[in-house]
Formats: sequence, structure tokens, C-alpha cells
Amino acid sequence: MSYAAGVDVGSTQTKAVIVDEARRIVARALTSTGANVTRAAEESFAEALRAANLEEEEVEYVVGTGYGRYRVTFGNTQVTEISCHGRGAVQMFPATRTVVDMGGQDTKAIRVSPGGEIQDFCMNDKCAAGTGRFLGAAASALDIPLERLGQRALEGERAVKITTTCTVFAESEVLSWLGRGKKIEDILLGVHQSIAARSAGLARRVGIEQEVTFTGGVAKNVAMVRTLTEALGVPVNVGDDSHFMGALGAALFALDHVLAARTPARTAP
Amino acid sequence: MTLTAEDTGIVGRGVNDGARLFREWFQELGAAAGAGRPSAYVFVMGSLAELLRTFDLPVVFPEINSLQTAVRRAAHEYLDQAEDYGYSPDICGYVKADVAAQLRGGELPMGRIPKPAIAVYTNACNTYIKWAEIWERMYGIPVFTLDVPGTRAEGTQTWPGDPDFDHDRRYVEAQLRELIPVLERVSGVRFDVDRLREAMGHTNTLVRGWRRVLELNASRPSVFNALTDGTIYLGMANCFRGAAEGAAYFTDLVEEMSYKSARGIGTLTDEAWRLLFVGVPCYPIFRRFSELFTEHGGTFVGSTYLSFASGGASFGHEYDLARPLESLAEGLLIGVRDAMDNMFHQTGPLVRMTDELAADGVVFHPIKSCRTVSTGLADARRALQAARDVPSLFIESDMMDRRVVSEAQLKNRIDAFFEGLASRRAQASAAARPSGRPAA
Amino acid sequence: MKTVETFPGWRGLPADALLARCADLLEDDRFPTVARWREAGGTVAGHFQVYFPEEIAHAAGMLPFKVRGAPVEPTQADSRFGSYLCSIVKTSLELALSKRVVLDLFVTHPICDAARNLAAVWGRNFAHPCEILYLPQNANSAHAADWLRGEYDRLRRTVERVAGRPVTGDDLRRSIAVFNRSRALLRELYALKREAPGQVSAAEAYTLVAVAGLMPREEHNALLEAVLPLLRGRPGRREEKVRVVFEGGFCEQPPLDLLRAIGRSCDVVDDDLLIGLRWLTDDVPQGGDPLAALAHAYLERSSYSPVQHDLRKPKEAMLLGRVRAAGAQAAIVAAAKMCEPGLEEQVAYTRALDGAGVPFFVTEFEENMTSFEQLEVQLETFVENLLFE
Repeated sequence: MSYAAGVDVGSTQTKAVIVDEARRIVARALTSTGANVTRAAEESFAEALRAANLEEEEVEYVVGTGYGRYRVTFGNTQVTEISCHGRGAVQMFPATRTVVDMGGQDTKAIRVSPGGEIQDFCMNDKCAAGTGRFLGAAASALDIPLERLGQRALEGERAVKITTTCTVFAESEVLSWLGRGKKIEDILLGVHQSIAARSAGLARRVGIEQEVTFTGGVAKNVAMVRTLTEALGVPVNVGDDSHFMGALGAALFALDHVLAARTPARTAP
Repeated sequence: MTLTAEDTGIVGRGVNDGARLFREWFQELGAAAGAGRPSAYVFVMGSLAELLRTFDLPVVFPEINSLQTAVRRAAHEYLDQAEDYGYSPDICGYVKADVAAQLRGGELPMGRIPKPAIAVYTNACNTYIKWAEIWERMYGIPVFTLDVPGTRAEGTQTWPGDPDFDHDRRYVEAQLRELIPVLERVSGVRFDVDRLREAMGHTNTLVRGWRRVLELNASRPSVFNALTDGTIYLGMANCFRGAAEGAAYFTDLVEEMSYKSARGIGTLTDEAWRLLFVGVPCYPIFRRFSELFTEHGGTFVGSTYLSFASGGASFGHEYDLARPLESLAEGLLIGVRDAMDNMFHQTGPLVRMTDELAADGVVFHPIKSCRTVSTGLADARRALQAARDVPSLFIESDMMDRRVVSEAQLKNRIDAFFEGLASRRAQASAAARPSGRPAA
Repeated sequence: MKTVETFPGWRGLPADALLARCADLLEDDRFPTVARWREAGGTVAGHFQVYFPEEIAHAAGMLPFKVRGAPVEPTQADSRFGSYLCSIVKTSLELALSKRVVLDLFVTHPICDAARNLAAVWGRNFAHPCEILYLPQNANSAHAADWLRGEYDRLRRTVERVAGRPVTGDDLRRSIAVFNRSRALLRELYALKREAPGQVSAAEAYTLVAVAGLMPREEHNALLEAVLPLLRGRPGRREEKVRVVFEGGFCEQPPLDLLRAIGRSCDVVDDDLLIGLRWLTDDVPQGGDPLAALAHAYLERSSYSPVQHDLRKPKEAMLLGRVRAAGAQAAIVAAAKMCEPGLEEQVAYTRALDGAGVPFFVTEFEENMTSFEQLEVQLETFVENLLFE
């Protein structure tokens, strides 16, 4: 049996996934990135190896992805997380044509071909509006743990219209609505709607084709799933491994190399 | 590829001569500043250099001065100074760099520029008008807006002989006739129609050459990088419009490009991807920006910048020297309109370039500082995607302001773009093989 | 000429109720008056800010509709534009893409670098004609009026095609009469605001002006004819507020709540809000060549804005003139966020006001803003400083 691995070094978390040659995930690991990017990559890879009960030599090829991809010093090559997220999402939901990935500091919309190749993509360029960080700012202003944010937002009935696009000012806008006597739940629902609207705008730039798969850490937030579905006007797929999608895609690209080494005609980026 | 002795005499000549001419041009401006000579401030989209030269007015291009501060990595000092003066971070960076240069008595990293005695500009960019109003206030100088009506809606351009065209042409000509006495007063030189005719003749040679040079990049491999080399040629097309040096330069450049084309001498040893550039270059990291593409074997074979920022010289319209003023008006109308069409009514030009230059991909680069060029790019991209099956990349940064240029972010998107191009090509070649199936 | 009533039910209402209805109409992003006009079979000419010769569309029996954005989320329009843009260019397109308003013609003048892209962007997104109307940027050329007359004639031909009927000189002269009446009524409203600011607040006056861009001008004239006496007859407010000029509303519009917030500490005695609807400062002669008369009025009897260049109208001198003529004590120099001409002019305005010893307050706004606390605190502090001096 051959194995391949992907290591996704993100701005806050580093993820590693190992797949076997049947493209099954045999292990996953999650660590916080911290200041030493190379060490975070090594640690998460080591943890995945432990979880899979494999030796490093048994993993034939490693692809690094994410902002820290060039610091995955033990990796064989690098692929951007844009390609990896597209690839991972298609693996999980084979009918995926559009991927919306919402991470800590950026949100991307990716249009993919049936084979998982990137047709077009778009990312938030200007600032962190419409990303997980915006949600974090609201959570801290309202003193609610991030993981409970979605549940509370779903209790909202009359969403408040959040107009600021600046993550830094999000806190003060949230507080000003509180000061005007608005319910926390309604404010939270408004925050989610505002992020969903921006993400849907990105998706429209690449063209929304069904099915849509929602990936990234924020996909775990139930209110985000609902508001994004409403903003896009189409249902979205969400999987249990949504925030391992980049690492999974990287592992699949790594597996391409392993398999290509056996049948030289195959090429991968 | 190894170059022969003959090759080394001609290949790269345009870039070297351009650098030398540019240095000399700046030295002359420095001398004019030192001597306190009056100068004319003009802009690249409709500079009227042919006319201004006949009054012995040195022409100053504030846009070129400003972009040079970015290329020389000094822009932030100028931007900061103008913002301290009161200008918003959200306005054109070229304007701000110039405001700071004026506040410094014309001092720039490349030398000193003379003060304006007059500003002459078209409406091709609204910021030109707002910019001139700043000098009007600072120096109390005459400022002259040459109003050039452009295309009213895509595909409705009219041509000489059409009553609507002639109506616009008469307006432009009337304004030129009003400008001449102002120029006589400012310069103290009498208008001489024969000198104008001579300058217009030089421009004819220049635009003919410029158009040919751009066409020659359809060669495979392409003969120049439209983003890097092209910007140098563009500078020559602007600074030496209406001058004998400009005519000679472009005659030589056509020779160089024809030579390279005939011998298959390309800009990259391995031209993997032919790309189009749409927008204004990222001057704060000018070389690096291009390398982010060339590292992947991508070279720019065409650029809308070379069309609009040459004031439509790329269109190649030549003046009729038998009726100089009327023809100058006609040429301005056609040239400046074409410059505007390459920014606003872009679908046609983009489709044409994609086809003629056999582009594998198109890079849209809207920038914070320039709404003229950037506002419609996302929509133009949608239109191109609907018209042609060509992958495109949309990346935002700036032409001046390092604060909004994130190299890591750019690289990430550019790398992903090439990954997409590569998998697309792999898929296409797999599909072309009889037993092939798409790579999973 | 269509006789459909697009804004029924205001007749006989007392001033406050009538103003509330107008404010509701202004803030209704479904544009019910335009919808009613269309239902009755009318065609609509959308004209983007700032100035548009509405008479020409009116003469063809079209409804001139002022396209000036709205506080809506640019859900679809966002994907047609880049970042770093003012709100109005995006929301204007959004209104049409989302079919909140349906047009038969869209006309825009290149007022700024962003807006000059609009004709092309709209043209790619809609089947109806979308075109540029060039207004002279060299207002000082002796040939400008003659050329503009020709450009207006070109517009007339477009309008004829869209409306499917000819536009004669008499049609134009009749329309000029309707708009002359409108201009006179708007001047009256501004005179009232200047002379008795206690009778009509800034937000109320603005509402009355703005709805002119949403309904047939005959209907709006009737509305103003009814409301002006009601305003004069209201029990006036006694307290003195600081008299200010608001500058910066020539294109993107501040939300009504922002004007209300300003009104709590200031009397806005003059402004440039929707200046395009008040661009011609005098009656347009009804005799002679109507297109030539309109062209002449545009150049010779008109207001000023940061987006028109005219050597005879240095903007800062014009602003000082406005402050003096209105008897204002201070100026609020605003600009829409990302509005390049507005932001550029702020520098010249504030320097000139400084030089003339006129206190000023500088701010930025956005049509979509909903929070005014920060602005109000600063403005109150500014006013307190004025009063204590």
C-alpha cells in the first residue's frame, strides 16, 4: 500500500492529512500554527503519522499548501490552497462545481471542473470583511464563545443590518446596536448575513454553478451555513472534514505524483 | 539560445536606447528647471506634444514622474507628504506624488522638473481635470481642458464623413484654435504651421512603428514582454511624440522586432504561456510582479496599457499633413477615443487581442489608485469569459501605494492561476489522446 | 402626454403627514411611482447623477428618473465592480439588476473616473440602450454651447427611438415650461429654508427635492404648490441653531437619518444636495431654438460642482459665495466615501474656508450607513465650540 500526505499551513491552524492509494483518508491532524511555521508543519505531519501508525518513509510524497507552504521543508512540492480546496471539495462531494471556502483571514470562491481542476477563482482582496475574523470581532464584542455564535444567531428573528465593511470597526458597530437596545441574537444574525452577502458576491464573480460545497473552519458554524444558503439561493454541501479540505486536496495532489511515477503519462500541476 | 554578434548589435537595442533617451530627457527637464524656463504640463492620453513642441515648450508628464517615484521605491515619502497636506488615502496616487513634488520645488528621485507655465490636458481621465485645478490654484497658471468626446456606447463609433463625427471634430478643432493664442502668450513664440506639420510627420512615423511593434508580438515566441519592455517603449512613445528622436526610435524598434521575429528570438527561453495584461502595472514591485509570471514560463504578449496609456497611438491613425489643424483635431478625436475605448468599451479590444496574439490567459489588474481604468474590469472580465474560453486572473493592488500591494497574496493567486492553466492543458492533451482520459 | 398619477393620496394631508409620505416614498427601494408609470404603459429614462436635461426625455413622454443609488446591498452588482469604489455606482446598478426599477434607457455623463465606466458596464448587462451624454468639460470654449446643442440633438434622436415618437420643437418648449415652473418652486423652497429654517428642516426640504426625481414633474409641481403654503403656515420653531451650508451631496446622497442628525444641532440654510435637479439657476427662455436654449443655460446660468470644470467658477470661491449668500456661520464639508472628486475638492474647500475665517466641519459619509453617533458627537462638539467663541 502506498501513502501520500498533504500539509496545509494556515494563518492560525496547520492541518495534515494522509491518504492511501484508494484516496481514503487514513489520518488527520490539527495543530495551531504559532510563530514557528516549519515546526507546526512538522508537528502536524508527525501527529498524522502517529494516528495512521505509519513511518515517515511509508509516505511516498508530501505536498505543502496554505500560506506557509514554502516552509513545509520536508515536503516534495507545493500547491496553492486554492487548487487544494477545489480538489478536496470535489473528492468529498463529487458533483461540486463551486466551492466557497471561509477561513480565518480570507474567503475564496472557486469554480471547478468535474475533474476538480480550477476554472476560476476569486478572493477577498481588500480586507478581512466577510471572513472568519469578522465573526471573531463580533464574538469578542458580545463576549460569546466563537463556537456558540452560530446557535445564538439562529435564535434571531429580525436581523440588524450591519453596514460596516471593516473588521476593526465591526466591534464598535455591534456595540452601538446593543446600545440602541437591539437583541444580541438579531445583531448576530445580521453579522452572519453581512458575511454571507459578501461571500455570495465573491461566488457570483466566478459564477455559481451547482453543487456548491462550503469548506473551511467557518463551515462548522450553523448560522453561517444557513445564511450562506439563503444568500446564494442554492443549497450547500457541508462535510465533517470541512476544515481539512485544503490538506486533503494537497494529499490527493501528492498521490497523483505517487501514481504518476508508476504510469508516466499522467501529469499533475 | 546563444546570440550571434549580429544579434547582440540589435537585440535589446530598444530597451537600451530607451533607457538612455529617458535619462537624457530628464536631464533636459533638469536644465529647463535650472534655467527657469516655462514648461507645459501634459498627460499621456492626448498630450498634444506635436503642437506644444512648436512653441519650444518642454513637456512634463506628471504621470511618468509619479510612477518613477514608485519604481524607485520613494513613492511612500511623496504620498505621505500629500496626505499630510490634506489629500485622502483614497484618491489617485499619481496626483498625490505630484502634489508632494510641487511642494518640494519639483525635486524628484530622477532630478528636478520645471514649474508649469501652462497645463494642457484632455478629458480622457477626469482626474486630469481635477489635477490641473490644483496647479491652477498653486501657481495661477492657465489650464486648458481639451474636451474630446468619446464613444457614446460600445460599437457606435463614427468616422470622418459621418455628421456626428464631424460635429465632434469641429468642436475639437475650435478648441485647438483657441489654445494656440494661449500658447503664443505663454511661450512668447509665434505659431508656425510648418513646424506643426513637421512634428505631425514625426508622430506619423512613430504611430506607424508602434502599431507594427505591437502586431509583431503575435510571433511565437513573442518578441517582447508587453509588461516590462513594453512599458519602456511606451515611455518613448509618450516622451518623444512629435520629435525626430521618437520617429527614429520606433523605426529602429520595428527593425529589432522584425529581426527577432524572423529568427525566432523570444523574450523567454521557454515560452510556456502567452498572457494578456489588462490594467495599469504594479510599479511599486515592477520587476518582481513580472517575475511572478515569468517564473512559471508566462510572458505578456499584449497589454491594454500600451494602447490607452499611449493616448491611442497604438491605433496607428496617421495625420494628413495637407490640412494640419483639421487633421490634428481628427487624429486627437480618433486616438483619444481609442484610448478610452481600451479602458471602457473593452470587450472588442480584449477579444481581438486574445485572438490575434493567441493568448492562453488574461490577467486583470485593477488598482486602488485609478478608477478610470479599474472600475469596469470585473464586468469586462465577465464579458470576455462569455465571448472566449480563455482563463483569466483577477488581482488587485496599486500602481503607487505599497500599503495595498501584498506580494504574498499576489503570488498565491498567481501560482493558483498557473496551476489551473497547467491542469487545463494536461486535460486538453489527455482528451486529445485517443485512449486518454482526464487526469483525476 | 401620460396623465397617470404615480403618487396618489397626498392631497388634503397636513404638512407633517404629507412630508412623512414623501419620506416613505424616498426610502422605498421598490420605487412604486416608477412602477405605476410603467404599469400605465409609460417608458422610463434613467439618468445618472449629476445633471441631465430632463426636458428632452420629458418631451418624448418619457419619465426622467434620477438614478442616484439607494441604501441597498449590492448583492449582484458587487461582482461587476472592483474594490475601492463609492457605493452609488454599485447600488445604482443593483437597483436595475434586481429589477427594483426597470428602465428603457440609461444615460450617464462622465462626471468622474468611476462613473465614466457606467455606460459600458450597464450596456453589457441590459438590452436597452445605455449611453454616454457628453456635457462640455471645456465650458470656456466659445464653441461649447454650439457643440452641446448638437449633442442634445443626438440625445433627442436616441430618445425618439426609445419612446417611439418624434420630439418636436413645440414638445420641447412645453417641457421647458414645466421644468421652469419646477425650478421656480424649488427656488422658493430653498428661499424658505434660508429665510425661515424653523419652518422646514434640512431633511424635509431634501425629501421634497429628491422626490422630484421619482415622479412626473407636473405631479411634483402640484405637490410643491400645495406644500409650500403649508410649510409657511406651520407653527415655527423658535430656538436658534447654528446656520450652516452642507457641501458634498452633489452625487451620492447621505441617508435621511444623517440629515436629521445634522438638523438636531444645525440649520442647513443651503446645500448642494441633488444639485443636478437644481443645476439651472434661472428660467430657460421658451422662445427660439429650445435645444440651444437648454445648452446655453447649462453653461451660462448654472450652479457649480466638483465635477464640472469652468474657469469662471473656481469651486472654492463659489462655496464662499454660497456661505455668504445664505448668511451661514459655518460649513459642513462632506464627501462620500471613495468619491475622488469630492475628496479632492475637500482640500481646496477647507483651505479657502480657513483663509476666509469660516469655521468648517469635515466628514465622510456613505448612503448605506446606519450609525450616526460618532458623527453627531463630533458635530455637537463643533457647534459647542462655535457657540462658546
